[in-house]
Amino acid sequence: MDALVLLGSFTLLCAIGMPVAYTLGLSSLIAALWISLPMEAVMLKISDGTDDFSLLAIPFFVLAGAIMAEGGMATRLVNLAKILVGFIRGGLALVNVLASTFFGAVSGSSVADTASIGTVMIPQMIRAGYPRVFSTNVTICGSVQAILIPPSHNAVIYSLAAGGSISIAHLFLAGVFPGLLFGLCLTGLVLITAHRRGFPKSEPVPLRQALRIALDAVWGLITIVIILGGILGGIFTATESAAVACLYAFIVTMFVYRDYRWRDLPRLLHRTVKTVAMVMMLIGFSAAFGYMMAIMQIPARATEFFLALTTNTYAMLLLVNVLLLALGTFLDLAPMILICTPILLPVMVKLGVDPVHFGMILLVNGGIGLITPPVGPTLFVGCAIGRVSMEEVSRELWPFYGTMILALLLVTYLPALSLWLPSLVRF
Amino acid sequence: MKAYYAQAMEALYVACVGVSGASLVVITLIIPYGVFMRYVVNSPASWPEPAAVLLMIVFSFLGGAAVYRAQVHIAVRALVDAVGPSTQRLMLGLVDIAMALTCLFMFLWGLELVRATWNQVIAEFPLLSVGLTYAPVPLGGLLTLLFILERRWVGEPSPTSLMYRDQAVVLE
Repeated sequence: MDALVLLGSFTLLCAIGMPVAYTLGLSSLIAALWISLPMEAVMLKISDGTDDFSLLAIPFFVLAGAIMAEGGMATRLVNLAKILVGFIRGGLALVNVLASTFFGAVSGSSVADTASIGTVMIPQMIRAGYPRVFSTNVTICGSVQAILIPPSHNAVIYSLAAGGSISIAHLFLAGVFPGLLFGLCLTGLVLITAHRRGFPKSEPVPLRQALRIALDAVWGLITIVIILGGILGGIFTATESAAVACLYAFIVTMFVYRDYRWRDLPRLLHRTVKTVAMVMMLIGFSAAFGYMMAIMQIPARATEFFLALTTNTYAMLLLVNVLLLALGTFLDLAPMILICTPILLPVMVKLGVDPVHFGMILLVNGGIGLITPPVGPTLFVGCAIGRVSMEEVSRELWPFYGTMILALLLVTYLPALSLWLPSLVRF
Repeated sequence: MKAYYAQAMEALYVACVGVSGASLVVITLIIPYGVFMRYVVNSPASWPEPAAVLLMIVFSFLGGAAVYRAQVHIAVRALVDAVGPSTQRLMLGLVDIAMALTCLFMFLWGLELVRATWNQVIAEFPLLSVGLTYAPVPLGGLLTLLFILERRWVGEPSPTSLMYRDQAVVLE
C-alpha cells in the first residue's frame, strides 16, 4: 500500500500535467505523510540532492555547450566536416552527421546540437537540393550522438542517480564507441539513401583552404582534450575539467573567434540558468523520491517482480529496452534517468549487467526518446529550425528509427562496445 | 493592483535570474581558481569547493522559481492536450493547486529546517550558519508560490517580459 501511495500519486500528478520535478516532490511528501515520516527529513533530502560537488559538472557542460554552439564553433566544425566528407555523394548529409559527432564531443547536448548544427546545415542542404524533411531528420537523428559521446552531462546525472558509485570518467569513456556506432549507422543509412535518391556531391576543398579550415576548428576540438585529457591524466576531477572547459570555451569564443558580441552574453546566461535550474530542481526532488523509494523498499520489490518474469539476461535486456523506449516517448531524458535508475539498476546488477553498460543502454533509449513524439524536445527544436511539421517529419523518420534500434541492439548485446575502453583505465 | 503585482513579479523574476546567473559566473570562476592555486601556486585553497556547492543550492532553488514563471519545467502534456477544453481547464487548475501545495510544504518545513540548523556553523566558513545552506528551499518555495498566484490572479506575464528575451543569437 505504501508503494502504491508514492507511485500512484506520482503517476496521477504526472498525468494531469504537473511539472515532473514538483510531482516527484509532492508525491514524496504525500508518501512521507502517509508513513508518518517527519517532513524535515524530506526537505533535507531535497536540499541535499543539489549540494553534491560532482553535480556542478552539469551547469558547466551546459554553459560551455551554449557558448560553443552560439559562438561560432558549430560553424567551424561543420566546415571541418565538409573537407572530410563533403565530396562524397550525399556529402552534405554526411557533413551533418559528422559535424554532430564533433559537436557532441564539445557540447554533450542533443538539443543544443540540433539547434546549432541545424541552423547552419538545414538551410545549406535545402539550397543544395536535399528535401527539407530529410535534412531535418538527419539533423535530429545525428544529434543523438551528443548524448553518448563525452562529455555527456546526462552521464553525470546517471552517475548521481546510481548513488555516485559509478565513475563519471568510466561513463565518459564508455560512451565513445556507442556514440561513434550511432554515427556510423546513420552514415550507412545516409549513403544508401543518397545513392537511391541521387543526392548531390560537393567539390573537394583545395588543400591550402582545407588546412586553414582544420586549423580554425582545432580550437574547438581542444575542448575535448581538456576534458578527457584532464580527467584521464588525473589532473582534474570531472567537475573541474568542466569548469576549465567552460572558461576555455569563453576565451576562444570572445578573444580568438570574436564572432560573439559581449552584449549578447546576458541572454546566453539567462537561457543557461533556465536549462540548468530545471535539471537541478529535478535532481533535488528526485533525491527525495529516491529516499522514499528506498524506505519503502521499492527497488528491492521491483527486482523481485522483474526476476519473477524472467531470469534470462538477454530476455530481461529486451524487456527493459521496450520499457525504456515506451517511457522515452513521453518522458524527457533527465527525469527518465532519475526515475528509472534506482528501480532498474538493482535488477540489472542482479543479472550481472555492468552498471556502466546499463548506463549506456539507458542513454541510448533516452536519446531515441528525444526524437519520438509526443514528447521529443530534439524533435520539436529540429521541426522549428527545419520549418516542417512534426507529422511530416514523423512519417519519414521510420528508416532512422530502424537504424537507431539496430544501434541500440548492438549496444545492448555487445557489452564490450561500452566496457572495453573503460577497462583500459584504472582509477 | 493587478498591474502593480505583475510589475513586482517581473522585478522578482529579474532578481531570481540575476542572482542565479551571478552565482553561475562566480562558480565558473572559483573552480578554475582552485585548480590554479593547487597546480600553479602550489597552495591548495579549501574554500572554492564548499563555496561553489553553496552557490549551487542558491542557483537551483532561485533559478527553479524563475523556471516555473517561464513555464519551462518538464511536464507530461500528452493527456492534457488530448482532452476537451473544460477538462483541460480542470486539470490545469488541479496542477496549480498541487503546485501551490508543494511550494507551501517547501516554505513551511524548509523554514523549520533552517530554524533547526541555525545555531550550527559551516566548518569551512565559521561565520556562516548551516541554516543558510537550507534557506534557498523555503525561499524558492515562497517565490514559486508568488509566481503561481500571479498566474492565477493576473494571468500570463506580459509578452514584453524579460522572460521571453533569451532567444539564441544566430551568427552569419
